[in-house]
Amino acid sequence: MIQVLGKAKLLRYPPGTSLQDEGRFSGAQYGIPSSGAMDQRSFRWANHLLKNTSSAVALELSQPGLQIQFTQACLIALTGANAVVTLNQKKVSNSSLISITEGDILEIGSFLTGCRLYLCIQGGFQVERYLGSGSDFDSITFPSKRSTQDGLIYFSYPQSKNLGAKPKWVTSWFESSEIEAYRGADWRLLTSAQQELICSTIFHLSKFSNRMGIQLEELVSNQLEELPTNPVFPGTVQLTPGGKIIVLMRDAGVTGGYPRILQLTEEGQSILAQKKVGEPIRFQLLESIIG
Amino acid sequence: MKPIYQILSPVIGELVWDQHPSDNLLAYQFAYLNYIQIKYSSNLLEARQGFTRLSLFWKNIKSQQQFVEQVSDIELIPLPLSNTLWQVPVCYEPEFGQDLNALAASKNLSLTELIQIHSNPIYRIHFFGFLPGFFYLNGLSPLLHTPRKSVPILAVPPGSVAIGGYQTGIYPMQSPGGWHIIGRSPIAFFDSTKPIPVWAKPGERIQFVPISGTQFRNWKQSYPKSASQ
Repeated sequence: MIQVLGKAKLLRYPPGTSLQDEGRFSGAQYGIPSSGAMDQRSFRWANHLLKNTSSAVALELSQPGLQIQFTQACLIALTGANAVVTLNQKKVSNSSLISITEGDILEIGSFLTGCRLYLCIQGGFQVERYLGSGSDFDSITFPSKRSTQDGLIYFSYPQSKNLGAKPKWVTSWFESSEIEAYRGADWRLLTSAQQELICSTIFHLSKFSNRMGIQLEELVSNQLEELPTNPVFPGTVQLTPGGKIIVLMRDAGVTGGYPRILQLTEEGQSILAQKKVGEPIRFQLLESIIG
Repeated sequence: MKPIYQILSPVIGELVWDQHPSDNLLAYQFAYLNYIQIKYSSNLLEARQGFTRLSLFWKNIKSQQQFVEQVSDIELIPLPLSNTLWQVPVCYEPEFGQDLNALAASKNLSLTELIQIHSNPIYRIHFFGFLPGFFYLNGLSPLLHTPRKSVPILAVPPGSVAIGGYQTGIYPMQSPGGWHIIGRSPIAFFDSTKPIPVWAKPGERIQFVPISGTQFRNWKQSYPKSASQ
């Protein structure tokens, strides 16, 4: 059987759009961040719906405006943020799975709930992998140089129009403001008053939020000294000498010198990735890690 | 030099050494890194090294549990550090080091003295972090320790050699940065078109070699010279 290749043409490609997968796990030795989908839960759900391997590459959107045309039939899944979706200018009511035919144009409009949407395709987008990952990162894949003239290659699979029962799009899990976290490597350097403050404060996301990190508005004053630079991971929460709390996300550098006060659970990272600027969150400290 | 192991999440934990960064500590970190990468290769997703920690990212909770049960029995001798010495050309002129004059003035040093204090020592590469290809070096003279700028600048040019706190480093690519820029190197420090994107390894050493502005502009090689000493 000859495998037909399709091309997804990026007719409109808004800022904050990138290719992502599970992340890059052998780059830290060279100082290369993990990258990967900010909301891993939604990303995995999309690949599950399409029966893809866990490493299939998807598009991550954080702003409305994407317009994409498919040259061949395929099956796509949209997960994460709930947005206004149109196919050939007709509104799609349940967009969790969409059967695409040759020439279809899909548009992603305003986001109703959440702020990161995943567009996955059966078989994944076929992109060059670097150190085992197809995730975009500036100095490696130069996503800022990608233009609307470019297309993403995929394998076309003939589709039946009737997809049967579609899974329901659920967003309630990320609408909670509780973010679960473990004690960070430097938690013990905080006074008990500071620890209590961090667990009881309702923090709000500041406008300084991107794929590298999410800074919170409320300050936690401290006299902690800068520490020797040591490893950090996505989900590591840092406290700066100025009292700022920064939650490191997928594109954060692999080491840092600020005290590492918390480590978010995977689920906590996915929930936080769906929060908009100004939304409230509260850290919920988990007691035991390994029983 | 036996570390303790601190569990940070079901899949993340770190080996903790409670002492200052040094060649001796680095040699022990390498011994642990090497041992863990061989013995636990099928359970480990990634290891990340810092000045006083070695962090381990496990494939699942069971992998970490198994390590936790065995870690206290591990007895290792330090791995000898490399003799490789890389010579990194740097043009220390205000044209390329926008903070050079201000830093020298704040330290009551002449430019010549500052350049000499920065380019004399041999620095040890401990690990890469902050940016792809950015190496963390140990060995800056206390005479040059300087608090970071309170407001970072938006675009530090690639190749910039800078001082921040008790550290010195080179920005491999354009980036926002709060370190004091004292010069620039004409060579490349990160190239993602190569399977291994950096030319040096942790444990190797570098020395800064002052060059003139003319030499900088005519510099052809992308990589530095190396020698074993």
